[in-house]
Amino acid sequence: MTYSSSLAAGRQRFDQGDIRNNQSLAKPWGKNQNATSFAMPARTLGPISNTIILIILACLLGLLYLTQVTKTNAFGYKINALNQQQTQLQQQHAELEVASARLQALNRIQNSPVAKNLVSVAPSGTVQQ
Amino acid sequence: MPMGDQAPADNQPLKRIRIWYALVVLVVAVFGVRLFYLEIIRYDYYHKAALASQLKQYQIPATRGLIEAHDGDSVVPVVLNQTLYTLFADPKYVKDSYVLAQAVQKIIGGSATDYEQAIKQPTRYAVLAHKLTPAQKQQVDNLHLAGLGTQAVSYRTYPQSQLASQLLGFVNDEGDGEYGIEQALQPLLKGTPGQLKAVTDVNGIPLAATKNNIEIAPKAGDNIVLTINLSMQAQMENILTQEYQKTKSKGLSAIIIDPNNGQIKAMANYPTYDPSQYSKVSDQSLFQDGAVSNAIEPGSSMKLLTTAASLDQGTITPTTSFYDPAHWEVDGFNITDIEEDGGPRDQTIASTLNLSLNTGATWMLMQMGNGQINTKARNAWYNYMVNHFLLGKDTGIEQGYEAEGYVPPPKDNGAGIDLTYANTSFGQAVTVTALQMASAVSSILNGGTYYQPTLVDQTIAPGGKTTTNQPKVLKQHVVSAQVGQEMIPLMEYVVQQHLLAGFNYLNFSPAYSVGGKTGTAQIANPSGGYYTDKYNGTYIGFVGGDKVQYVIVIFNMQPGVAGYAGSYGGQPVFADLAHMLIDSGYVSPKTN
Repeated sequence: MTYSSSLAAGRQRFDQGDIRNNQSLAKPWGKNQNATSFAMPARTLGPISNTIILIILACLLGLLYLTQVTKTNAFGYKINALNQQQTQLQQQHAELEVASARLQALNRIQNSPVAKNLVSVAPSGTVQQ
Repeated sequence: MPMGDQAPADNQPLKRIRIWYALVVLVVAVFGVRLFYLEIIRYDYYHKAALASQLKQYQIPATRGLIEAHDGDSVVPVVLNQTLYTLFADPKYVKDSYVLAQAVQKIIGGSATDYEQAIKQPTRYAVLAHKLTPAQKQQVDNLHLAGLGTQAVSYRTYPQSQLASQLLGFVNDEGDGEYGIEQALQPLLKGTPGQLKAVTDVNGIPLAATKNNIEIAPKAGDNIVLTINLSMQAQMENILTQEYQKTKSKGLSAIIIDPNNGQIKAMANYPTYDPSQYSKVSDQSLFQDGAVSNAIEPGSSMKLLTTAASLDQGTITPTTSFYDPAHWEVDGFNITDIEEDGGPRDQTIASTLNLSLNTGATWMLMQMGNGQINTKARNAWYNYMVNHFLLGKDTGIEQGYEAEGYVPPPKDNGAGIDLTYANTSFGQAVTVTALQMASAVSSILNGGTYYQPTLVDQTIAPGGKTTTNQPKVLKQHVVSAQVGQEMIPLMEYVVQQHLLAGFNYLNFSPAYSVGGKTGTAQIANPSGGYYTDKYNGTYIGFVGGDKVQYVIVIFNMQPGVAGYAGSYGGQPVFADLAHMLIDSGYVSPKTN
């Protein structure tokens, strides 16, 4: 159907409607008016548009998912960094414990200059009167 | 122009669109089908393949529990964990082995040539050094050399050096405890390893947003607080080292036990080893805690048990006297005493112990059978040895490789069982560990309660929950409380008489109660009979005030001193330890 034929058909539909309406009441524009309908036909999306829109929506959803997953995964790095920090601190704590224990070891105390300079409290003689 | 002529030209764009549309649909359909095939039909295959490369599974090792001991009022660690590093190279990524070897040598010393040779080995993991300190590890990291890496390894470290090494044991390269308390309490100390199962990135860092991640935290092992008094232990080890040299011994074991709860306060052997260098020890017998794992014939110190069993049965009293013929013939063999004991004459229970009369001990055994060694006597004595003093079975102390010892069954085997049993009455033909004797004599002196000897005072769970180990009674009414009270003066008498005999080191303040008994044991020859020139010296004694506070047991293996091994090999060690306990203020004196 070409544009001219469709226009004619539209006009015909308009005229028929006018005739039906003028059965009880004559309209002023019922006669001698080459009336043309300017009513916009209802727009519908074609299958290609639908497909493209669906694909775009799917992509958007995918993007949304990916951003969320990436965001969540970024916490993995944070957790890992914190875990490493915790491990490091625990190791430092353990090393300090070892150092402390070594410093308090009986052998070390026994051989320390302080211990070597200690003198026996046993009496070395008796007072002569 | 007629409409029919225009139609083919007007339809061209629509047709093209439809063709493109069809193509797009086709391509999408192909993708869809392919995706359906890959993601639905081959789901399992690709899921597994993806997980294989992305899903990493690690075992998180549990921190091994620490071992601590009492030092005065405080508790100090004697075994700790320390992270050290293994230095390795992956030759595949090493660009210049010479440069790498030189750089490593500057940091950790050693031979650059050896490092270079190690790198040239056909391996992907060439170990260059063990036990790098954190500072050295940092220096290695700062080199940023390709192919050079470090791996953290947890080691046991011993701040007190060799102290109590045989009692503690060590942890092998697989992380398992061997010997001593490390072996006995392995399940408690080791803890439970954790698990990390996670989808990771290319660097192995776990990604958070996956449902397959599993992280089970490791459960650290419990910390153990030993009953050992560190200062007492150190002094005991010093004494053993000195006496080992003085008595030219082949091995010394000693125990100080609290008879009122079974807690071991000090336990040591000499020679010993350094647990941090256990891999360099060539003589594996050094790993053994001889006081627990070495069962020997104790000799005359066994007479304490014979006496206590006889007193408990009422076959003798502490004041019983009897005629000693100086020899008994049993199963065709003569049982005699030493010449110094003076030949046939009247003896008492006290003199039997003081002079260490074999004939006296045999006589006591005979009294259990109404005057002769018979089935009744054997059964009675066997019952006391095994069911009262719990010889011939392990005590259950927290030590690896505890020996059970051997008590001959009383049944007549046609091979001179009466002689065998006569021998057991003075400590031959029966084998015991120092710990068994310490526990048995403790049970006599505390009035009849056999406490399981223990080295564990407390266990501390990772959350800090502390559980105090309550004394565990293995046997009640070992002997009557009265027998315990009767044995104390008998043992004190032995010490006093030995002091009078010239052993001046047995001079103790009267404010303290000190008693004991020597033992000189013949050593069985594997090819039959006994050596005539080899003896073990043993000593079992106690120190206390109003009550017995410590029981001390000495096993001196083949001391090379003149005189009897018990008197000259065991007794001086006992005296040193008894003086140490008194002088260090560990013993409360008598109140009146």
